[in-house]
Amino acid sequence: MAFQLRRLALALGFVIVIGIALVALLAPWITPQDPFLQNLDARMAPPSFMDGGTAAHFLGTDQLGRDYFSRLIYGARISMLIGVLVVVCSGLIGTTLGVVGGFFGGRIDAVVMFIITCRLSIPLILVALTVVAFVGSSLTVVVLTLGLLLWERFAVVARTTTMQVRNLDYIAAAWAAGCSRPYILLREVLPNIVHHLIVVATLEMALAILLEAALSFLGLGVPPPLPSWGLMIAEAKDYMYFSPWVILVPGIALFVLVLGINLLGDGLRDRLGATRDA
Amino acid sequence: MTAAIEVRDATRVFRQSTGVFSGDRLIRAVDGVSFSVESGGCLGIVGESGCGKSTLARLILGLLPTTSGEVLVEGQRLADMDRKARARLIQPVFQDPFSSLNPRRRIRDIVAMPLQAQGITGRAQADRVEEMLVRVGLPGAIGDRVPAQLSGGQRQRVAIARALVLRPRIVVCDEPTSALDVSVQAQILNLLDELRRDLGLTYVFISHNLAVVEHISDRVAVMYLGRMVEQAGTDALFAAPKHPYTQALLASVLTPEPGLGVPDVGLGDLYPDPANVPPGCRFHPRCKLAQARCALEAPVPREVAGHRVECLLV
Repeated sequence: MAFQLRRLALALGFVIVIGIALVALLAPWITPQDPFLQNLDARMAPPSFMDGGTAAHFLGTDQLGRDYFSRLIYGARISMLIGVLVVVCSGLIGTTLGVVGGFFGGRIDAVVMFIITCRLSIPLILVALTVVAFVGSSLTVVVLTLGLLLWERFAVVARTTTMQVRNLDYIAAAWAAGCSRPYILLREVLPNIVHHLIVVATLEMALAILLEAALSFLGLGVPPPLPSWGLMIAEAKDYMYFSPWVILVPGIALFVLVLGINLLGDGLRDRLGATRDA
Repeated sequence: MTAAIEVRDATRVFRQSTGVFSGDRLIRAVDGVSFSVESGGCLGIVGESGCGKSTLARLILGLLPTTSGEVLVEGQRLADMDRKARARLIQPVFQDPFSSLNPRRRIRDIVAMPLQAQGITGRAQADRVEEMLVRVGLPGAIGDRVPAQLSGGQRQRVAIARALVLRPRIVVCDEPTSALDVSVQAQILNLLDELRRDLGLTYVFISHNLAVVEHISDRVAVMYLGRMVEQAGTDALFAAPKHPYTQALLASVLTPEPGLGVPDVGLGDLYPDPANVPPGCRFHPRCKLAQARCALEAPVPREVAGHRVECLLV
């Protein structure tokens, strides 16, 4: 029963993430309308399934009369793009640091630990504020800021798992076989910690997407008129008492995506950890 | 003739941190061990857990540097060799085949790894892997599997294939049978014995199982708290042990007759602590023959009737 529930959760997460990724990729072909096209005559139109809704706008329009459904679809692009790019960037930094520290130990490990501690003492939102104040906000700035800051969990997990693997006999056998250090790191250590890193990657991806939304909400994220879900929530907050769907729609989308990513990560950890180990 | 392995006064000290305010403890895991193994021979090393057997194995393999002393393989200092030359000479077989094989690689790749490291690839590599798998008694089709799909005995055969694929001169076996089922132990032991004769290998065979060591070795060394207390030919050692510790060790072997219970070997419950080695003879707190001078005077190894013994009373 519990097993089937887990499989169901993994399948659900998989469907959500793949579905939203497909929607993001195919955005230009599946949006019914131009997400940037303003029509002040048709502002704040309710969704088609509510009273007063029209078939032209499935999820209604926003305060500038832009088609809300099209903006939501393009927003998926921004969220997925930020999620993936931030995870790739922070994953590379964190895994490299963690594996090197855990594998070599001693003084190198002490340096890695110091860098991790330094990173942990930096408040993320404050850094983002400062960066935006200096260079202005753009998609690149958001990706770089988050990518260069969100690596600490990768580093911690990569370091501890590497330390566990480092002392196993197959690593000793690889040393005795005359393998080089890079070979041992890449072929013997990394494949045996990667399932832990995949879980971290999903957590970080969800976190990055939420942080982008938070930054956009504060006006520090992607600049308008790009349709980020966080920005949509920020713009909707003035109207939520009169037309609650404008804040509900991007909010629910964000919730579903983050839930999907987390379900996928949890499920993958169980599967990857269990199938190949004895 | 140069010995296949010669170990001269090898010592390995580990530093163990005990906390922020107290100093580090020094653990002398291997303390001034000397021995040599002639080419084609098999030296069995026995001793209880924590006596430094496995540390000694790692010193001989070059996986750990010695704190002092040196290890010579075929007359060359191990510390001066590069990793590829060392790998061609000496290879390990570890105790637990469940942790000595990378769970995420196929059997073929695991056995091929030493060849890969030497730059032998392609057809030549595949042929030698295939040949080696057949040689250790595994079906060739097993190459596509991963370790989780194999039994313990099969895994240990894979580990042996990996150790022998470079055709090394020396194999260090660190308890190669103790993680296996009894029924499989004999098969693996016979395979190792057969391979030694056919390929002219030299073995250093570490075990706490006296029967196994008696079966495979032609010479046996007994370790206690980081030192070798007695070395002799297998028959001589098992027939007439000289050192009180060896005598106790041999007496501790369980008899097959039921009802006799566990033999009382007179070693007491004191467990030796390698961080706090007793003064004088390090065995004296547990020795039933100990005299006053054993606590004061450290014994040096002496030749007694073909045995190399480290005891004041022999």
